[in-house]
Amino acid sequence: MSDCIVMREQMPLLLTESLDPVRRETTHQHIEQCAACGEEWAGYRETWSFLEQLPELEVPPRMKQQFLNRVNPPVEAANVVPFHRRPALRWLAQAAAVVVIAGGSYFVGHRTPSPTTTVVDKPATPALVTSAMPLRPNYQPAAFSIAESRVLDANSISPVIEGRPDIQNISFTQLNAPDDQIGVSFDITSHMTVTGRPTDKTMVRLMRYVLENEDRMAPTQTRAIDWVRSTYSQPGNADPEITRALANVLRNDSHEGVRIKAVETLTNLPAGGATNDSRDALIQALKTDPNPAVRLKAVEALSNLLKKGGQADPATLDTLRAKAAQDDENMYVRVKAAEALSSVKP
Amino acid sequence: MKALRRLLRNSKQPVRNLSTMSASKQREPREMKSLSDHELMRIVQAGDFSPAAEIYDRYSARIYNFTYRFLRNSEAAEDATQEVFVKMLKHANQFNGEAKLSTWLFSIAANWCRDYLRKGDNKPKDSDDVLVQLPADQSESPHHRLEQRENQLRIQKALQILTPDQREAILLSRYQGLSYAEIAQISGCSEGAVKTRVFRAMETLKKALTGEASGGERCLTAL
Repeated sequence: MSDCIVMREQMPLLLTESLDPVRRETTHQHIEQCAACGEEWAGYRETWSFLEQLPELEVPPRMKQQFLNRVNPPVEAANVVPFHRRPALRWLAQAAAVVVIAGGSYFVGHRTPSPTTTVVDKPATPALVTSAMPLRPNYQPAAFSIAESRVLDANSISPVIEGRPDIQNISFTQLNAPDDQIGVSFDITSHMTVTGRPTDKTMVRLMRYVLENEDRMAPTQTRAIDWVRSTYSQPGNADPEITRALANVLRNDSHEGVRIKAVETLTNLPAGGATNDSRDALIQALKTDPNPAVRLKAVEALSNLLKKGGQADPATLDTLRAKAAQDDENMYVRVKAAEALSSVKP
Repeated sequence: MKALRRLLRNSKQPVRNLSTMSASKQREPREMKSLSDHELMRIVQAGDFSPAAEIYDRYSARIYNFTYRFLRNSEAAEDATQEVFVKMLKHANQFNGEAKLSTWLFSIAANWCRDYLRKGDNKPKDSDDVLVQLPADQSESPHHRLEQRENQLRIQKALQILTPDQREAILLSRYQGLSYAEIAQISGCSEGAVKTRVFRAMETLKKALTGEASGGERCLTAL
């Protein structure tokens, strides 16, 4: 009886030829031996072939045209104005084009002023750094470009950066000024240089913006981190915003080289107001960063933090213990974690 | 001066009519025919819809027949077929190439049909569309033609007795020749569930079309 139930369930599979050879053979043998199942099988076959009588319908031809019209709507013939070139004006137009190109090139070439002088004017009113930035032009000649360059003092600009401006071609300069001024140059609507002390809020915000917008400024990223390390490692220049920006780079940047630089820079920054951010980012990197080199740098950085005499917080200790004991972790990371733990005073 | 002359000579070449150009390079229909489904889809995924007509030619009949038999409503089947190909173009990037293009198109069609039936009044119509649309074969005798049409109606009606899940499974298996694995992908269920649906569908159709009591039942009674 149980055989008949199984065979009956396999009959549709036999019809669709979905049975493996062994089961197919077994089912056929059963059908031959069992009269009732043979009759059942005949019924299935009859139904299966009866279904064949349902005809294939043809797709109405208009449907294809309707579909293609939805894909590429036909252009209204009445709205199309054919373009005819006018032979009579052709020579005149070509001559005019040559004159415009030659005249334009001459004008632009002679408009570029001498690259020897630099004039820095303070604007009368503070400006915002925005994507559509109507700044008062303070003309600074650029030896390499025919574009105008503007120089702005950091104190004349609002530190609020609005609208995620797309700034390009960023470069950093150490100005030879008695008060350790730095300069950040970039292209926005024109070439621009913002100068000021590293501790000026505008400079800090600008550096943070450059650091955190890696997706649009990736080539600048490592240079920016190097610059931050050399500038903000000095005790007087420490700023929590810079530390937070580096922590964000460590958390979010997709390039392991950039993340390693971020860890190194975080290690070198003097203890500021954002130590917790820095430590949290290092712990997270040690826990989750996919690259062992970054995790190694992170564990070294945490070890340094502990050695510097910072209080050993439970999160750091737990993470180091977990890493030291993690079987599938890189051996160097495990050893460094164990060393860091051994340096903790009870 | 030579360069200027060459420039002027080139400028005499005819200007192309931009209104006839699509977003990217136009391809010859003959070239399309030689490409595989996956190659055509890669072109579509690149933003060029010129393979749309070729893909439509390859699959519209199968999709239209499936949706018509599923819904038994020619207007709905036309809408469904159009929507399947429009969705194919709109969501081309969702086609990852792991499955066959036909499987993907049938899943769009099956989803559309299920949604259609789920809406309140969209029950399958008891229409005679099939008789209207099919030209009769003049070589057959009038009696045979009548019998054929009656059989076709019986099949259509028997298919409507099935649950939508069973109908979907039997249509894809019997008329589209898809494997149970492919049907499972389209219906979003396991292969085992598809086998059960086909089995139940065949049981029901056998009763409806051959008018017999289940032989299996008789077998069990005899035992």
